Amino acid sequence: MNSERWRRVNHIFHTALEQDTATREAYVRDATAGDPELFREVETLLTSHSKSPHILERPAWMIEPELALGDEMSLVGKQIGRYRVLEEVGRGGMGIVYAATDNIGRTVALKALPAEYTRDPERRKRLTREATVAASLSHPAIAAVYSLDEIDGELYIISELVRGRTLREQLREGPLPSGQLLPTLISIAEALAVAHEKEIVHRDLKPENIMRRDDGQIKVLDFGLARPTGPRESTVMTEAGVLVGTPGYMAPEQFTPRAEIDGRADIFAFGVMAWELATGEHPLGTDPGSIIAKMSDPFESRTPALSRPLPLRGLDGIVRQCIRRAPAHRYQSAEALIVDLRRLATPLPNGRDVFWWWQGHQLMASALNAAAAAAVWGVRQWVGKPTGTILFLAALAAATVSVALRLNLVFASRVHPHTLIEHRRRVFSRIAVLDTVLAGSLLAAATIIAAADHDGIAAILIALAAVMLASLSLIEPATTAAAGLVLPDAAKKTPTTAR
Amino acid sequence: MTDDRQSVNSLLPDVYQELRRLAANYLRRERPGQTLQPTALVHEAYIRLLKDKPDRWQNRAHFCAIAAHSMRQILIERARARGAQKRGGARQRITLDERLLPGGEPSIDLLALDEALERLAAIDPEQARLVELRFFGGLTVEETAAAMDISPATVKRHWTIASAWLARELEGNSHR
Repeated sequence: MNSERWRRVNHIFHTALEQDTATREAYVRDATAGDPELFREVETLLTSHSKSPHILERPAWMIEPELALGDEMSLVGKQIGRYRVLEEVGRGGMGIVYAATDNIGRTVALKALPAEYTRDPERRKRLTREATVAASLSHPAIAAVYSLDEIDGELYIISELVRGRTLREQLREGPLPSGQLLPTLISIAEALAVAHEKEIVHRDLKPENIMRRDDGQIKVLDFGLARPTGPRESTVMTEAGVLVGTPGYMAPEQFTPRAEIDGRADIFAFGVMAWELATGEHPLGTDPGSIIAKMSDPFESRTPALSRPLPLRGLDGIVRQCIRRAPAHRYQSAEALIVDLRRLATPLPNGRDVFWWWQGHQLMASALNAAAAAAVWGVRQWVGKPTGTILFLAALAAATVSVALRLNLVFASRVHPHTLIEHRRRVFSRIAVLDTVLAGSLLAAATIIAAADHDGIAAILIALAAVMLASLSLIEPATTAAAGLVLPDAAKKTPTTAR
Repeated sequence: MTDDRQSVNSLLPDVYQELRRLAANYLRRERPGQTLQPTALVHEAYIRLLKDKPDRWQNRAHFCAIAAHSMRQILIERARARGAQKRGGARQRITLDERLLPGGEPSIDLLALDEALERLAAIDPEQARLVELRFFGGLTVEETAAAMDISPATVKRHWTIASAWLARELEGNSHR
């Protein structure tokens, strides 16, 4: 565009702005008659003007103050309390991280908390409390928090200095090498398990917050800012109503103001991250705009990335189990997740044969249930109406659902073997109730017909019920344990929920 | 203009030096970590530069133009250096995500803006200069009017359309 033409654009633009919005377009059309190019030029300028009239309102140095004053804000070379700041090692949402030495020569990471964390005394108190809990976490995969120091009115978090690369940095080179993927995921899950045990939820798990030390050790950072989810604390913790997390990794419930967040939110973030580490791509894509648009959407609604299965088949099921919208449908504990990940790392430790016994048992139990329902049908006339009909209907309903659930388990064991533990854990209590109802109706029928002089048949029914109950309470646990489908003791606990 | 560029290059270290000194002063006086008020800081730097070396400036307008241009160069140079560092996979861990956090202001890409401003200068050098004074120099409408020797109303008009033009350019740029 030449200056002459720009002057015309200027004139039409300013005259248009003086018009009413109603007549503006007509005016521009009129003034640019016969020159569609000029019309477009003015129109797009007017649109930009109405969309962001104050885009340059703040001076440049206010937009990125650290560019103007960066060096001077730095703490490098300063003495802060008993810490001598050596160098800057990283920057994150929480501020700049420095390497420092303390008065006994130990090298630590020092992080000044942003003013907005420290100004409000209430927030400050909470932060102190959280750091206290975080300091009690001890695990090789968790960067240890040493202390929260108040020096000259400012708050500093002192923690273990981790030198290495963040997983984000590693991701820039593509997905994790296949030999590294599972061990990395298991380390992270172990860190989560330890933290969740103490009711600490990370809330902001993402590749930026996880480092691989030069010797290969994984370290989850920033547990110090997690909030305890214990029932006593929960109301206070959420009272501030501050959203903590990073879109793209936050679980759907984290977008709900004041919703209770428990360890299952970390499980969600873990799933997203596992996907990213396995494929090199975020499941929502790389465009930040689309991440914002979809961030509160459930990941279950398929994105193009998610419609393809992960290359590592067993992991696919595990990841999808992590990123379910409803917390109740995810892994309920990091331990359960670890068990599945470990099984994937060393496939079916107990071998195919033992697994077959469990599958065989499920099929046998299904056949037994069908036989039981048929038996109640056979004796319903001797029981008499309406009791016979009621008993039969109860038996039929219980048998149908129980058989369906068991067959579903057998099917799942062949298709998604690596999420079977969690799957079985969810449905087994129902199967147990249904089988008990079935056995109960058999016993009831037997009692009634025994009184009506059908002792022989009654004895058969009682035997059948006994076999069912024995199968449920003795044989099933044995085959399940043999197939390696039970969680270790520590993992049986329900998740650290706080309503 | 060549004359101006030369004096800019010779004065740039002074402006920068002054900023550093002031910031250091602030840091000594205030508690560490306390939020600085960059606007106040920069204004103070201008006033000092104006007072300390009055003979180096032809007039206030000249000073403002050079200070704003210096500021632009400092910021862009550093933004560029930071960008290179980031692409090189250095240690810094700033991610776009952080800007999405609640409370984070939508950020302007200073480098893209700088390039767009060059394009504007090709069409309308006066408007580009005005943007430099206001956006990089932080001058008010009245100060800009005085520095450019035009009326505040004209400053506002130029500012409005130049902002719209730059906003459009930046938007087109963001669909990478």
